[in-house]
Amino acid sequence: MILLPLLGFLVLGLWGRSFKGQSAGVLASLMVLGSFVLTLVLLFGGGASFEVKDWLPGIPFALLLDNLAGYMALIVTGIGFLIHVYAIGYMADDPGKSRFFAYFNFFIAMMLTLVLADAYPVMFIGWEGVGLASFLLIGFWFEDQKNADSARKAFIVNRIGDLGFLLGMALLYSLFGTLQISELREIMEKSLVLPAGLGLAGLLLFIGAIGKSAQLPLMVWLPDAMAGPTPVSALIHAATMVTAGVYLLARSSFLYANLPDVSYWIALIGLLTALYGALSALGQWDIKRIVAYSTISQLGYMFLAAGVGAYWIALFHVMTHAFYKALLFLSSGSVIHALGGEQDVRKMGGLKKYLPQTHIHGLIGALSLAGFPLFAGFWSKDAILASTLNYPFGGYGFYLVGLFTAFLTALYAMRWYVLVFLGDFKGQGHPHEAPPVMAWPNHLLAVGAALAGFLALPEPFWNLIERFLAPSLWHLEVEPLGTATEWGLLLLSSVVAILGLFAGYRLFLGRLPDAYLAFQRAAESAFYVDWLYNTLIVGPLKELAFGFGLADRGLDRGYVRLGGGVGLLGRLLARLQGGYVRVYAFFVVVAATVFVLWGVVR
Amino acid sequence: MIHVLIFLPALAGLVALVYPRWAQSLGLLATAVSTVLGFGLLLGAGSGVAAYAEIPLLKDAGVYYAVGADGVGAVFAVVIPLVVFMALLAVREAPGRMIGLALLMTTGLLGIFLSLDLVLFYVFYEATLIPSLLLLGVYGGRDRVRALMKFALFTLSGSLLMLAAILAARFVGGAESFLLRDLLAARIGGAAALWAFAAFALAFAIKTPIFPLHVWLPDFHAQNHPSGLADVMGTLYKVGVFGFFRWAIPLFPDAFQAFQPYLLFLAAFTALWAAWIAYAQNDWKRMLAYGALSHMGVAALGVFSGTQIGAAGALFLLAASAIYTGGLFLFAGWMHARFGSLELGPTSGLARHAPALAAFGLILFLAMVGLPGLAGFPGEFLSLLGIWQASPWLALLGFLAVIAAAAYVLGAYQRLFHGPPGKIVAELGGPEWGFAVLATVVIVVLGVYPALFSTPISEAAKAFVSVLGGGQ
Repeated sequence: MILLPLLGFLVLGLWGRSFKGQSAGVLASLMVLGSFVLTLVLLFGGGASFEVKDWLPGIPFALLLDNLAGYMALIVTGIGFLIHVYAIGYMADDPGKSRFFAYFNFFIAMMLTLVLADAYPVMFIGWEGVGLASFLLIGFWFEDQKNADSARKAFIVNRIGDLGFLLGMALLYSLFGTLQISELREIMEKSLVLPAGLGLAGLLLFIGAIGKSAQLPLMVWLPDAMAGPTPVSALIHAATMVTAGVYLLARSSFLYANLPDVSYWIALIGLLTALYGALSALGQWDIKRIVAYSTISQLGYMFLAAGVGAYWIALFHVMTHAFYKALLFLSSGSVIHALGGEQDVRKMGGLKKYLPQTHIHGLIGALSLAGFPLFAGFWSKDAILASTLNYPFGGYGFYLVGLFTAFLTALYAMRWYVLVFLGDFKGQGHPHEAPPVMAWPNHLLAVGAALAGFLALPEPFWNLIERFLAPSLWHLEVEPLGTATEWGLLLLSSVVAILGLFAGYRLFLGRLPDAYLAFQRAAESAFYVDWLYNTLIVGPLKELAFGFGLADRGLDRGYVRLGGGVGLLGRLLARLQGGYVRVYAFFVVVAATVFVLWGVVR
Repeated sequence: MIHVLIFLPALAGLVALVYPRWAQSLGLLATAVSTVLGFGLLLGAGSGVAAYAEIPLLKDAGVYYAVGADGVGAVFAVVIPLVVFMALLAVREAPGRMIGLALLMTTGLLGIFLSLDLVLFYVFYEATLIPSLLLLGVYGGRDRVRALMKFALFTLSGSLLMLAAILAARFVGGAESFLLRDLLAARIGGAAALWAFAAFALAFAIKTPIFPLHVWLPDFHAQNHPSGLADVMGTLYKVGVFGFFRWAIPLFPDAFQAFQPYLLFLAAFTALWAAWIAYAQNDWKRMLAYGALSHMGVAALGVFSGTQIGAAGALFLLAASAIYTGGLFLFAGWMHARFGSLELGPTSGLARHAPALAAFGLILFLAMVGLPGLAGFPGEFLSLLGIWQASPWLALLGFLAVIAAAAYVLGAYQRLFHGPPGKIVAELGGPEWGFAVLATVVIVVLGVYPALFSTPISEAAKAFVSVLGGGQ
């Protein structure tokens, strides 16, 4: 599974120039499709595993395909394949497209490594590998300095999270002497007393997840990551890589289920991130940045679910989100493509008329995101909200803030839709619909964004996903809410979503009230977090680097002075050797006296 | 065979000094043979010492010519000639006699890693200094004399104290000879051990180097020949971490434990300090010098952790960093050949015209960042696991440096390759391909299958911790 896309990467990377026309994209897509089929076959064959013992001393290179890994792998390769196909059309005129597809395949290979890993260091390979792919793809158009800067920012901010991951591994290793996930899980199942320090280990791993999944306070890299080509944003920064943090939590559910304190923090951070992302999304003017902040917000929901112990729901939302967010990004891509690179929503509007197909895609994506009843996002988001009520430590606070965020979500989803597709066209030129190679992946994604929710319905209907994932996740006993309550909550969410959509429709089609404009200004810069970080952290660190450089030279000069001092001493000593015997004799006597005195005193 | 392995490069080097025109091909041949022999040792490496040979030199004084390869020795018996081989593939404008000196140095380095007699070790340790000084003194840059003075003074003051400590190590304890096993059998203790360890530690700290004894390093690299060959040799010559591992700590374990907290702290500080400074450098070689210094800080932390896994990581890191740091110095040499300067500033946008060059540069840089899947990661990771057991706080401090590596390394990479295309320079060409392909293969193989090195190193590290008395 991993080797196929890796092969694609090697072939395209080494002999990229000999691929003419669209063959590079076709080859890359086929590799991913191959992985997808292989995953299906292996998964229904009962899973698979692979191990090289003593890859590092005491640490095996272990891969494991269980239901959880298979579920993620299907999302990665399935949606990945669709986005690959879309990219054939999107990147058709780019001279560097074989390089693009080489990176794309590399990303898939690394993402699969991450997902299939059965040892944390192996997961870390994939973890860093996808980070590298992200770095390369954000900076794909590297001749623009701004893109290169965004790429570097993404990599470095992620490294901060990675430090947490690394230290977390070190702590786990010192506690248990192993880093193999299945072994750790067995130990946790057997042991009654948990070692002190386990909470810290969980917290450290969680910091890694924060970085990768762009949660507060490490979310600043994701909006800038939109500098990459749009299929990159769809694949890496929406559907797959950024959900790796959620996957890490789910994979480590045996750990977190035993750590209620840490889980509380996870839920809280997730909730705050969801709120922050939704508020910021309301102020953006770049078609992709709106969707990017929305991604931050939606990832927050997933963390909330993982924090309250509803791991399968977090993963359910990973899937529905992958569908509708990929769809939103790719529709945005089609719009950008149609307008020749324009990304400012103030220069769009009225595209419903010009791009009927894309309009439908965008509408389905927005409705699913907003949680419109019966769409995929509706089911998973409601499941998350309901799960917060099961949570013994949260009370109604988590639910209410989550519900309010859902209202905001519907609001900005509608804002996006209205500004892009409704009203009058404010740009120039004649937008044209995307070619079929770009439209077809969107058709399929739209089907998913609309219907994927039906895989897991509340009682008394079927729930395939929970049952499928149960063997890989740690089961947390909770008091069920009762069927009536659950459907009541569903009704409430529906009302909130529709209210939000309606409010958005009324608000953004007409003139905006002044109060909103004031809010808009703050939200546009995402509440000045970037500015704050640059002034308070990045700037001083850079200044210190120069300062330390000077200090190091000072140290150098200090030694030279010291050397000078020694030289002076040498000259003084040399003067002693005047050649006069009586002077020598004098020194001998003095020395002897000193020695004798020393001996007496001792 | 182990004697051939050690002395063939020196033989080639002597010939090269007389017939400089043959230097490059002779050097390639000799180092290739040594690499292959070293590889044989590596494959045969078990838990003990392979290819042991012992010839009395000064029987009455207890000095032996004793060489042999445990797991660590075997790894370096591959890495040292391999790196020199790669360097000779890469350099284009190195004078023949300079190559001769580098080959002489190669033998000295191999001797350092394979000696099992303390006096023999010292002889190799000092003998290696001579060609190193000549490389700098004859082929260095404008300020070479100053750099040379600093380098020589620091190194010599360390090694003279070490010589005294060597004598103490044997005679205070009454060991039968200077052989490692005899010394281990009659270890000295008490105040004498403290002083002797301090002397060893000072010498090796200078050679690691550890803050504040590192100040010779930036000038050393900045002033050496722009081709990067001398820098590669200098990188290989940073044997301090190994010295602690093989000699200083096993001979004086109690004294080490007394000093351990301070050493750990200094090493962590070195790692962070150097990484931070590297960020502000505008000169290729100074940036690499500080970056490599930071890595040595991490490696020193690994050994000072006193754990098997930490020490194994440290030596893995030492071996791997010789490959990619050396590679980066050579890469800087190529940049010098293309731009005529080592400044990091005015060049940009190289990726447009020289994509293969950019790709190769990226691999080297990423290895330095410690990206998993490349050679830099296993050593750093294993060190971390060990350091954490010794001190979680210092692990955090040291690994902030590893994170910071991304900032200075990617910053340098992007200044060079990204941005609007500037001056058109030659793409990777001709013999440069040989180096690029070989270095890439080695870096990837060590990253994907680290067991090749880590298993034998870990075996040797087991002996190291058992000497320390328990440990893990």
